[in-house]
Amino acid sequence: MDATTRQTEALILLLTQHQDQLFRYIFALLPNEADARDAMQETSLALYRKFEQYDEDKPFLPWAYRFAYLEVLKQRSRSQRQPLSFSEDVLELLADERQNLEPHLENRLRALDGCLQKLPAEERQLVTYRYDQRRPVEEIMEHLGQSRRTLFRNLERVRRLLHDCVTQHLEVAS
Amino acid sequence: MNATTRKEMEMLLSALMDDALSAEQKVHLETLLRSDWECRRFYLESMDQHAKLLTAPAVAAGKLHTPKIIRRSKHAWFSLAAAAAILMLAGLSYLAGGKMQTTKETNTEEQTGQGCAIISQTMEAKFAEGSQVPTQGAMLSPGRLHLTSGMVKIEFFSGATLLAEGDVELDIHSAWEVACLKGQVRVRVPPPAQGFRLHAPGMNLVDLGTEFGVHVDAKGSAEVHVFEGEVEAHPNEAEMRLLTEGQSLKRTSDNQISSGNAQPNNFTSIERLNEISLQYAQARFDAYWTHTFELRKDPRLIACYLFKHWENDRWDRLVNNFTEPRNPSRGGGAVGVKWTQGRWPMKDALEFKGPGDRVRINLGAEKYDAMTLATWVRVDGVDRKYSALLLTDGYEPGEPHWQIYEDGSLMFSIAYPRPSSEDKTKKFNQIYYSPSIFNQSNLRRWHHIAVTYDNQSGQAIQYLDGVEISREVNSHHVPGRAVTFGPSEIGNWGLPTENHQFPIRNLNGRMDEFLIYKAALSPAEIFTLYEAGKPD
Repeated sequence: MDATTRQTEALILLLTQHQDQLFRYIFALLPNEADARDAMQETSLALYRKFEQYDEDKPFLPWAYRFAYLEVLKQRSRSQRQPLSFSEDVLELLADERQNLEPHLENRLRALDGCLQKLPAEERQLVTYRYDQRRPVEEIMEHLGQSRRTLFRNLERVRRLLHDCVTQHLEVAS
Repeated sequence: MNATTRKEMEMLLSALMDDALSAEQKVHLETLLRSDWECRRFYLESMDQHAKLLTAPAVAAGKLHTPKIIRRSKHAWFSLAAAAAILMLAGLSYLAGGKMQTTKETNTEEQTGQGCAIISQTMEAKFAEGSQVPTQGAMLSPGRLHLTSGMVKIEFFSGATLLAEGDVELDIHSAWEVACLKGQVRVRVPPPAQGFRLHAPGMNLVDLGTEFGVHVDAKGSAEVHVFEGEVEAHPNEAEMRLLTEGQSLKRTSDNQISSGNAQPNNFTSIERLNEISLQYAQARFDAYWTHTFELRKDPRLIACYLFKHWENDRWDRLVNNFTEPRNPSRGGGAVGVKWTQGRWPMKDALEFKGPGDRVRINLGAEKYDAMTLATWVRVDGVDRKYSALLLTDGYEPGEPHWQIYEDGSLMFSIAYPRPSSEDKTKKFNQIYYSPSIFNQSNLRRWHHIAVTYDNQSGQAIQYLDGVEISREVNSHHVPGRAVTFGPSEIGNWGLPTENHQFPIRNLNGRMDEFLIYKAALSPAEIFTLYEAGKPD
């Protein structure tokens, strides 16, 4: 196995391990799925191109985040949704804070599974429709016989329930 | 973060997640994120949760839906994920365990436009090589715009308006962001566009709903002057400054920051642009109108409609024929159409909108060997199979029809009986199409279109803005058959041959000149018509 192949393999392993974290980092700065996926893809390519500069003794994610941040900026100026993307100063604030909060965020996600199980049946169904099956809003509205307003309010409530449940769980645990 | 703010954040973030966040809400969200670290934390926690649910719903939602990856051995998960990573590196999309998004299949794709601003006014504007070279009314895409002289007014989709005059180099990033690399610009930002950003070398400006000017000199020094309201100036490597009305800030290329001394009068004002463009329009109109004095005397004219509206015409429905000597019997009657502004503010035009809108004319039973139709038209939309320009009532032998076909091409046609047919109703419909010329990029702008036809050569030539776009002889052409008009209509089709429900063929747009000649004008003559009448 030559050096290049070995490097590529090493990168694939690292990316596999960390792709979810990398995606969530990008998504926090570029909160639109299509844009975030594009930036994710470009980040993967950038990492591949620059991988020889990576120092194996250092943690992978902080290094990868630097590239991800640049790709976020690029994607943001390319995106048609730009009016809705954040100003650079807000991006900086969020990116800094997120790195500090990362252990806390990871803890929260670990509690999320349990909280999903505890959701009342109706709310769980809504999560299934919205996130698992990715049904368009119109379809869910029709299926549940709800107005757009009601549906949006219900989605907001599910998110609040989950968020509160996770917060509570962490408080009890500590 | 108090309960009210928390509630507000929940609402804003849910809107963001469900693609329902408005630009105003986004500005509000940014304000909250800037000012409160608890809001930032709540935001990050919420988005993380949302991202997790989006990327790994099967994992997160437990047994809600067929779990795929969950609870497999670590090894199996690993190889699957590795495969995903390889796909990712190969340039495919990020699949991470989740399902591909299911989107609604539709047959007709929604039309999309490219651009983030409109050049709403230009005044003798010249552009550098390599720059976008937009015409008035054109959409601007992100990218460089290098004006070398003249004036332009750019209206961003965010609502901000920018005036530039002289040698100005801009780099347009989006509807919300532009960089001024050279020259002077003035920006007006109404409330919905608050947060509009203008970058100058070494300085970023965030507008809080105001009017301000920026001047960047050849050495790269930037100076900002606030005419009204407030602007946040963020010089590189220095504190943000809040500038209010009458204040200036200067940053030289060697990073010296001082309160500037810019004079408001040094910046182009909207009043100046309006005044100059009005003067310019008046001059263009005067030259055009003078040109028509000669044009009207052309003996080849059958009718000459200049769409001038008389103040004292109480009924307001007369469309005068301006041929000299006058021939009032060929005057037109306006039905439904409204008088509106033409190529210049001082020039009238007729607007065709409703299915009944039309101008009725009667050109008599005379027979001709050739003809020319030429008009200034502003097409607002090609939204039916045929949009009428000029059609004779019915479609008898020798009668011309001129329309815009649904694909945006000009369609000239003339009918003649089949030579060998006993049955007079059997006709060969000789149709001549131009290439498609009307599309999203040139709608709502003034264009000169013309068609010439002569019955010896059988050639039908069509023109756009003085330039030939099609020339054709129909295979059914027989030399020497006459052309005739009779009762006809401009902008609609009056009396279709068949006596059932009338098809809707009205033009959607404006006309401000329509000339009908009994000769085929030469290409040079058509070009002269265009040159004499072009708006700018």
